[in-house]
Amino acid sequence: MGIGLKVRRLALLAGMAVCAVGLSAAEAAEKHKIFLSMSYIGNDWQAEAANMVKAMAAHKSLADKVDLQVQVAGPNAQRQIQQINAMVQSGAEAIVVYPISPTALNQVVKNACDKGVKVFAYDAEITEPCAYNVHIDQLEAGRVTAEWLVKKLNGKGNIIAITGVPGTSVDDQRTKAAKEVFAKYPDIKIVGEAVGMWSQAVARTELSKILATRSWNDINGLWMQVGCFTANSMQLEAGKKASELLPCAGEGSNGGRIQMLPAGTEVEGAAPPYAPAGAQRISYASPPYSGALALKLAVEAIEGKEVPKTTILPLPVVTNETIKLCNEGTWAEMKAGCNVFKPSLVSNPGWFASIFSDQTPEIGLNAALVGQPEN
Amino acid sequence: MSRAAISSPVSTGFGLRRALTRHRGALIAAAVLAILLFIVDWISAGPLTYFDVSFLSSGGATSALAAIGQTIVILSGGFDLSAGAVISLVNVVLASSMDPMAPGASILLWTAVGIGVGMAVGAFNGFFIAVLRMQPIVVTLSTMFILQGVTLLVMDKPGGFVSPDLGTFYLGDAITGWLPMPLVVIGVVLLAWFWLKGTRFGTALYAVGSDPDSAAAVGINVVLVRLAVYVIAGGCYGLAGVFISAQTGSADPLVGNPLLLSMFAAVVVGGTRLGGGQGGPVGTVFGAYILMMVVNILLVLNVSAYYSTIAEGTILVLAALAGSLSHASVLAVQLRAARARVAAWRAGILPSQLEPIDRRLKIAGPSQGQRGPASPRPAFRLRNAEILRYALPAYVCLLIIVVVTQVWLGRAILNPGYWNSLLVLSSFLAVLALGQGTVILTGGLDLSVPWTIGISGIILAGMVNGSDTALLYALPVVLAMACAIGFANGFGIAYLGISPIVMTLATNGILQGFALVYSQGTPAGFSSPMLRWFMTARLGFVTPVVLLLVVFVAGAVLLLGHTPFGRRVYGIGNGLRAARLSGIGVERTLILVYMLSAVCAAVVGIMLTGFSGQASLGMGDDYLLPSIAVVVVGGALITGGRGHYLGMLGGVLLLTALQMLLAGTTLPYATRAILYGLVVLGAVMALRERRLQ
Repeated sequence: MGIGLKVRRLALLAGMAVCAVGLSAAEAAEKHKIFLSMSYIGNDWQAEAANMVKAMAAHKSLADKVDLQVQVAGPNAQRQIQQINAMVQSGAEAIVVYPISPTALNQVVKNACDKGVKVFAYDAEITEPCAYNVHIDQLEAGRVTAEWLVKKLNGKGNIIAITGVPGTSVDDQRTKAAKEVFAKYPDIKIVGEAVGMWSQAVARTELSKILATRSWNDINGLWMQVGCFTANSMQLEAGKKASELLPCAGEGSNGGRIQMLPAGTEVEGAAPPYAPAGAQRISYASPPYSGALALKLAVEAIEGKEVPKTTILPLPVVTNETIKLCNEGTWAEMKAGCNVFKPSLVSNPGWFASIFSDQTPEIGLNAALVGQPEN
Repeated sequence: MSRAAISSPVSTGFGLRRALTRHRGALIAAAVLAILLFIVDWISAGPLTYFDVSFLSSGGATSALAAIGQTIVILSGGFDLSAGAVISLVNVVLASSMDPMAPGASILLWTAVGIGVGMAVGAFNGFFIAVLRMQPIVVTLSTMFILQGVTLLVMDKPGGFVSPDLGTFYLGDAITGWLPMPLVVIGVVLLAWFWLKGTRFGTALYAVGSDPDSAAAVGINVVLVRLAVYVIAGGCYGLAGVFISAQTGSADPLVGNPLLLSMFAAVVVGGTRLGGGQGGPVGTVFGAYILMMVVNILLVLNVSAYYSTIAEGTILVLAALAGSLSHASVLAVQLRAARARVAAWRAGILPSQLEPIDRRLKIAGPSQGQRGPASPRPAFRLRNAEILRYALPAYVCLLIIVVVTQVWLGRAILNPGYWNSLLVLSSFLAVLALGQGTVILTGGLDLSVPWTIGISGIILAGMVNGSDTALLYALPVVLAMACAIGFANGFGIAYLGISPIVMTLATNGILQGFALVYSQGTPAGFSSPMLRWFMTARLGFVTPVVLLLVVFVAGAVLLLGHTPFGRRVYGIGNGLRAARLSGIGVERTLILVYMLSAVCAAVVGIMLTGFSGQASLGMGDDYLLPSIAVVVVGGALITGGRGHYLGMLGGVLLLTALQMLLAGTTLPYATRAILYGLVVLGAVMALRERRLQ
């Protein structure tokens, strides 16, 4: 963009306005100007999602069609409103956005739509009807995981719930759906509940607080939005054997999934607690590929293809029955069914492992790790 | 004045210059904003049209309106942390009470509702601050927690409906094609402020902010002025809440919280001095728009995502520096002092070059021996009366909380596991309290704590990668890096004269950028077994870190209470000029103070990495406000000069025990937030200032 702009300026200076118009028209025909407005990138999920979007834009199928610019709004909805306005002003054809708030952006998104800009929200939702949404069904996520836990406990037992960020729609839907399931079983009791902010570190502090006045022996199961890896590590530290780990319904971190592999499995780079332990788990996630998919759909929409307003992604669920280790983590390998990566490849156990989608053969493990597309 | 100016050309020049000096902050902010606008216009494709101006004016309006309120509070010598929470509350109140079926809505009515809610909260704050004479920072912090809870009770997820009429009015044009409405709203508020400033109340407000004791002495009703200040400020936040409701057409219970820090930055960039008495809302409005323009500049420059916080931090520092370019600025004073020192060195009259002879006056003072038997050492209780008065409340409340925990949840007092968890969970804040506490004792604030923690943890985990031997060189490297961070903060504050809030806020953003670039978004590596053992294992009933905590506390008490460094810190906090005149190397001490704070934050980063087994981005985010809260709950004065580390430790234990109690219950989060706020408020009731004499 920088060079194009300078050329245009020079042309204008020379008084060759006609030439300039011709040039910018030619540019527009070659590449679609697409902006990515991210929220806060100071956490693992957001950074991984950003890598995958960049990889998608760099893939050979899109590289000469898309001019992608990434901007960060931070946690401030007010700034994102400002940012989207500025993007529309500078001639965006499509805006892919991680919405900080499902409602606060409605007016500005409507403005953008009125100017013919396609707005795609990923992971979280924008309630303005003209926006395209790409996300999982959060109610389903809450329900499926709660049902799994009830089944594991045979409908009876004390559980601890660690929720997400209070005041967000995602947390509200997941927690409400799960509590509806638990309410059907009078013998299931939630004995402790804490706000986990979708962070392993916070989950650890909150669990430590709860366990200061309770013992692991009084607890039969765990329902967490993020934190099973941490909960399992804490149980091992407290002296439990791998076979005694409590059933835990929770997030799709790679560390948590490695722990699901049968104890004693040979895995390159594994070291306790980031090691196979045969933990009883259901692992689900808001998949970080949703931004990349939204970008792909945005290009299709610009090119005139019919794209549905709402794309509900299949809920990626992995249980002890379906867990399978990847060798290299290519898209083809994941298509064959593997869903967890060696610690030697992914050294951060909190890294989100649900990166596979049928619809995104352009991106694999390297996309999520370093932003490199598949060949 | 104007008539006199016409009659005498000399006094015109003088009056003009005086007006320029008085409004320098606002004028410079306006100039910086104009330059930024020019830059955006120059590098973006087309010329700035009316639509651009209209968009820009609505984009910055919410934070500008709220920051006006914050400015008035700061002018009166206060501090308001509840501003963001008021905006969220007004937003959800409006959106949940408007009827989506009735499309029309009275703009006047709903604006009044919003402002009314804000003023009610302001009255609540004002009552505790003005009437009960409690510290603004801790009152408004409690209010913030309480309001966040109330907001979630009103609306637990985003949604609701705000009539489009409000949006049409507040975002529309006052004069079509010429004047956008948001600018008119801000203009009206500023006009109201100018009217207020001209009244006796306005004079009283500046007087109270400059020196409350003198203000009371000349007969100003300080209580009433302070109360009114918080009510007026609440009204401004309320109006900001109405504006954001109009702008978004619906509600989000979290919308206001992130506005808080940038609001302070807007105030400071606009030329208002923290601590009161100097500056005004006009500069603040420019400050708010400067901060907002940064978004557009990053967009047109196409700054990559990872570098955006670095760019923002740099712009913030440059804006603050531009605002301080004058003959009287700290930087200029430092440069002149350096030149004088060089000249003195050339002439050979620097104190260090002179012969070391005793130049003290020969006055026959009472000899040391005489006083001993005549006046015996006062009793411990008397000697430490002030420390006890300010530190004890936290411990008394701690005791109450522990008893409540025992009654409500059981397994507390006689359960060694409970005490061990309490100490382990407290250890992070206990370490931070020393750093943040020392900074606060000098009258500053360190907002770079979150990402100093984050980057230290990430770099340590990356270097250690599970190996105990690597810990041997990783620890010194991380601590050295922390020293460098603290040095940068201290240098900017002491030598460049940048306000601590702006400097450390900018550093925080820059560190966040570095952490992202370093880790490429996915922090690698994990804690070594020894570090993990240190934070999580049990030796009998205690975790090893608890033993370190004991040593640390002893060291901290010694450092602040029994070393020259500690005495210098208190000296600076009690009066910068007095400290300088009594020969304290203020600059050197300030730099050391910020280095201490950064090292404490880095130690917490290392401890958290051991505790969690890994480092993650953003792992320090939850520690900023608590680190300030514990210091104040422990009896320290936010304006500096008063406080004892043992009091802060009491604050740490109290807040941690309270959180453990709340975590053990199954109360909904909203109720917990309200309870938390109320308990903090109750705990500091005992810390009220004595009535002004």
